[in-house]
Order: sequence, then C-alpha cells, then structure tokens
Amino acid sequence: MIKSYKLRRHVANGLIYLILAILGIIWISPFVYLVMHSFRAEGLIAVDDYLIPHEWTLQNYIDLFTGAGGNASINFPRWFLNTFVVAIFSCIISTVSVLMVSYAFSRLRFKSRKKFMNVGMILGMFPGFMTMIAIYYLLKAMNLTGTLVALVICYSCGAGLGFQISKGFFDTIPRALDEAATIDGATKNQIFWKIILPMSKPIVVYTVLTSFIGPWTDFILAKIIMGDNLDNYTVAIGLQKMLSNDFINTYYKQFLAGSVVVAVPITLLFLKMQKYYVEGVTAGGVKG
Amino acid sequence: MKKILAILMAGVLTATAFAGCGGETSNASSGSSSNSGSSSNATGVNSSTVDYAYFGEEDNVKLKVWAPDAAVNLVKKQIEEFKKTYSEKTFDITVVAQGESDAATQMLNDASAAADVFSFPSDQLNKLVDAGVIAPVAKGFKDYVTSENSEDTIKAGTLKNSDGEDTLYAYPETNDNGYYMVYDNTVVTEEDAKTLEGTLAACKKAGKKFIFDAGDGFYACTFAFTAGAKIDGLEDDGITQKFVEYDEDEAVKTLQAFAKLIKEYKGTFTSLNVKNVASGFKNGTCGAGIDGSWDTKVNQDSLGDKFGAAKLPTINVDGEDKQLISMFGYKYIGVNGSSKYPNSAQILALYLSGEECQKQRTEELGWGPSNLNVQKDKIVTESAVLNAIKDQSQNSCTQVNIASTFWTPMGNLGNKLVADEWNPDDADATRKLLKDTIANVRDEG
Repeated sequence: MIKSYKLRRHVANGLIYLILAILGIIWISPFVYLVMHSFRAEGLIAVDDYLIPHEWTLQNYIDLFTGAGGNASINFPRWFLNTFVVAIFSCIISTVSVLMVSYAFSRLRFKSRKKFMNVGMILGMFPGFMTMIAIYYLLKAMNLTGTLVALVICYSCGAGLGFQISKGFFDTIPRALDEAATIDGATKNQIFWKIILPMSKPIVVYTVLTSFIGPWTDFILAKIIMGDNLDNYTVAIGLQKMLSNDFINTYYKQFLAGSVVVAVPITLLFLKMQKYYVEGVTAGGVKG
Repeated sequence: MKKILAILMAGVLTATAFAGCGGETSNASSGSSSNSGSSSNATGVNSSTVDYAYFGEEDNVKLKVWAPDAAVNLVKKQIEEFKKTYSEKTFDITVVAQGESDAATQMLNDASAAADVFSFPSDQLNKLVDAGVIAPVAKGFKDYVTSENSEDTIKAGTLKNSDGEDTLYAYPETNDNGYYMVYDNTVVTEEDAKTLEGTLAACKKAGKKFIFDAGDGFYACTFAFTAGAKIDGLEDDGITQKFVEYDEDEAVKTLQAFAKLIKEYKGTFTSLNVKNVASGFKNGTCGAGIDGSWDTKVNQDSLGDKFGAAKLPTINVDGEDKQLISMFGYKYIGVNGSSKYPNSAQILALYLSGEECQKQRTEELGWGPSNLNVQKDKIVTESAVLNAIKDQSQNSCTQVNIASTFWTPMGNLGNKLVADEWNPDDADATRKLLKDTIANVRDEG
C-alpha cells in the first residue's frame, strides 16, 4: 500500500485522467477524422491505408459552395439555405407553442388538465416514424409534399407535446408572482408574456436550441416528404444523396466538407447561448 | 382510464398508418387500369417518332423524367429535340436526377408522385410488374421496339402479365449493365489480364491492389456462377430461385481454387467496395479491379492513357482455365402506370430509347446500346470497354428474375472465401458452404 496520502491522491488522479483521456480520444476521433479528411486533396473516396491526409487543400469547401466539378443536381448552398429557413421558422413556432402549452399546464387549472397531460405524454412516447406514412398522405392530400412548408409544419406542429421540461421549470417559479400580477390587474396572457417569460430565459434558450437543431439532423421524415424534389432538400438528405452510387466518386470529399459546414450554425448558436443552456436543463429537471 | 386512453390513441395511430398503406394500393390499382388506355392505338409504328394521332387528346403535357445524374444533361438535350419533333404540342417536361438502383423503390413508395418516364435496371422489373406500377409498352410500339433492339434485352423485358400473356414491359435502353475488369496497363499487360493468376501476380509485383467486392452478392455470385451453380430464373412459385444442374465436386474444386488464389495473394487481392477502384487508380494504390460499366467514365478519368479494359479473367482449376461468369443485366426505360399523360409518356419513352438517343448516350456517356443498328456502329465495335462488356455478357447469367433472397447469401459466400481464417484445403467445409449458400438463396435453410 502506498503510505503517503499525497502520492496516493496523485496516482488515483493520474489513473482517472488517463481513463478520461482515453474516453475523450475515442469520443473525439471521428470528428477529428472528419475535419482532417475534409481538407484532403488526394484520392476520390475513403482512403483505407492511412489516417492522416498526405496533401491538404481548401478545394473541397470551395467546390461545395461553387458547385464546381460536379453536376447541377447537387446544390449544397441551396440545401443549406433551405435547412436554415426551415430551422428558423420551426424554431420560432415550436418555441412559442411549447412555452404556451407548458404555461397552460403549469399555471391554469381546467377540467381534464391531467388527462390532457397524460395524452400528451403517451403520444410523445410513440416513435415519430410510426405516423410517417400517414403524414405523407395527409400532406399529399393538401398538395404540400416536396415543399419546405410541409417540413415546417411537421417539425413545429407537434412541438407542444414536449412540454414536460418547460412545465417543470415554470412550476418552480413562485405562484405568488402570478397572484401579485393578478391583483395588479394583469390577465393570464399578460402574466405569461410580461412576468413569466422574462424570468424563464434558460428554458427559452433550451427550447430554441432543441427546436433549431431538429431540422439539421432529421433525416427520415425529410426524405419521405421531399421525394425526388432535389431543389428543396435539406442538408441531411442532401449529404446522404452525395454518398449514393451516382455521386460518391465526385462528392465524397465534399460530403466530408459539408458535414463540417453543417456543424457551424449549430455550434455558433450553441456557443452564444451556452451559459443559459446548462442552467435551463438543470432548472427544468428540479421539479418535473 | 389511462390504459383505455392509451389503447385508444394507439388504435387511432395504427388506423392512420394503415390508411396510408391503403392509399398506396389504390394508387397502384388505378395505375394499372390506366395502362389499357395508353395502348388504344394498335396500328404499329416503324420509327421512334410517331404520328400525332398517337397522342390522342393529350396536349399541354406535363411529364417528369428520372435519369441517373450522369445522364441528366444529355436527357435534357434529347428532350429539347423531342419537343422540336412534336412542335404542334406543348410540353412541360422536367428531368430529375434519380439513381437507377433506387428507381423501383421510389416507384413503389408512391407511384403517383414518381416520374412518368424512368430508367431502371432489369432486375427490378418483376418488382415493378408485381406491384402494377409499370405500364407495358404500348401495343402499337411493341413490334417496332422488338425489331430494333437485341433479342436478349427484349427477352429479359418480357414477363407474363396478370392474364398470363407474354408482355413487353419496358423499352430497352442499354445492353451493358454488368462488370468487367479494368486495369492500369502499366501494371497489368493485356496478356496478364487474361488470367486471374496473371493479373494478381502483376499487381503483386507492382505492389498494388486488385480490388473485387466479394462482400456484395452482385459481384460475389461470380464465385458460384464460375463454379457452375448458375441461376435459371425462378421456380413456378415465382419467388424461389432456380439453379441449373451442376457438378458439385467440380464446383467445390473451383471454389477451393478461388480461395487458394486469394490466400496466396493476400494483401494484393482486397475485397473493397467498387468505388475504391477509381479512387485507387487515382492515388496509385490499385493495379486492377472488377468494376461496372457505370464507373467506366470515372475510371478512365483516373487513369487517362493507362486505362485498360478486358472481360473477366480465367481461373486455373486443376490445370484447366475456367472463364469467370458474371451477373449481367440491361437497363430499361419504363412508363409509370399512373401517369396522367400515358400516351405522351409512351411516346417519350419510345423516343428516348430510340436509335438516335442511344447513339448519343454511347458517344457521350459510353453506355452500351441495346439498339441493333447502334451496336454495329464503329463507336461501339471499336470501344475497348464496350467490347470487354460484350465479351463478358457472353459469359454471364442474366440479371432478371432474381429472388430477393439471392444477394445476401451470395455476399456471405464471398466474405467467407476471402476471410483470413478460411482454409482453402478443406473440401468438406467448402462443400457445406456451397450447399448452405444455395439453400439460403432458395430459402430452404
């Protein structure tokens, strides 16, 4: 046994750091690979003999945005813009609706409030792709398949069901504030916008972040809705298209570059709102 | 109460999901009913351009065409010509890039949202016919199409319809959907390329790879076919793969010869996705590979003057050189059964599959034509690639009527044979592997 307490602590810490470092490397290596190879100049698709590219270039990024060296059906800037627009709209709509639903469930007392909450919970438990075919045909009946509006509808309309975390947060805000405001003559609506919302920055940020990320990462639903309408693709299905047989030889490296580019808006938003984010998640979890 | 609600919600959701499926079937059936309308003009044509009468009442025609990405620009050009040819009618035709390998899947997803005219490989034909989403070639066009294209493509495109009559379901587009050997001619000589042993030795000497995708049933079936276990359409039940009679001892010997050779050239013979061939040519790590006609252009670009093409090599089994037998198919242009403008779609498909368009595709894309006249053209007869493909097509099984259970067991066979731990000298294990593969393909395992 090691006698010295100091030494023992150092050894223990050393071991812990070693394990953490290994875990960290495992976790980060795919990202490092992705970023490195997005700057690779040689080869067409994956190179399997070595990990570090031999030649470096920015050409993949330039090609990605100028569409040089390929066919017109791959249009990454357009897809990026599509996704951005869809993300903005569904972010606004779903944030507002989630917060309103949460507020109603947290503050208002009405008949079958509990039942509605349960229904919401149950519906939320079904996997999203269960209703996908139904959604497709409903959208088709409305003549919306292949449009960005359809995506906004899909991403934002069910958002209210994810009320649990924000409701948990609202529950922690003392009701005394509501009562005071009511005495001063505020309506429920005014209380929500003027009292509760300004106090709920963390949870607003949390909701904004989650609903903004959705469209960037969703694949299945977008794929089904868009079909062959390449002009309205989002980045997720667009990037996958680059890997299909027809395209992979030309676009593999651009695909890597595209994957890096997709991370940019999400990262920026996240960095900007990071300090609220952690607060939001923990605060909402206190009383669920 | 909660439970009841949960069940209720689940019920509602399942019902909507089923409603979705219901929509699809009804689409498909309405599709097949409009088939008959398109073939009302049954007088027969003798050129790829037809009389205006064939359009019937259709005008202000809106059509969507699916073409593989590489062909999109050319198809657009051809459609401009098409519009000029039929200048009395107005057209609004869009061309969308859609990979052929995915065409049937996309058609079956929702035929009414799919293209009116689309190209697809031969093995998808039964799926499309079974689902009733493809309209047969219009009666008036059938004789002309049959006389213009190679017999094999017509035979493979003809299936029995629901009344049991032989029906030509699609317009032949190419006669080249298969794989052949591409090589770097500074590494492998024309003489080397004749035998698998020679090719591998040459690659090994140069320290380069020979790439063959043994894990993909499409390529790996070469092992079984060469061994003698060739396919022969489907059994009468319409789903089970039929094999020809073959000599099992001989087959086992052949598979062992493959495994031995692979073991001997470990490090040279690599089982990788075919896309690695072009990539390997480009960065100089690949000496030769088995790749398909669809990658011809990128392979040529990667190698430049060093590009060489040949039919698949032979393998030496007990002193006898055996030709490798491959899977070979065709590509077709099909007409969507639920097209809103069935006559125009047929006329467009006829035009696009016609001699002139096929010739343009051969010139610009290097596709092997199915049209008999274009086949005689010197751009075809003098093309090394198209000759290699043609030679290989004579040593192949046709990629039509393939059971859905075919690919995975074949891929498994390939994976086993190239695996490090596989013992090529173990005849019993090889025999068992072959038997299991056949049983699994026939779904008897």
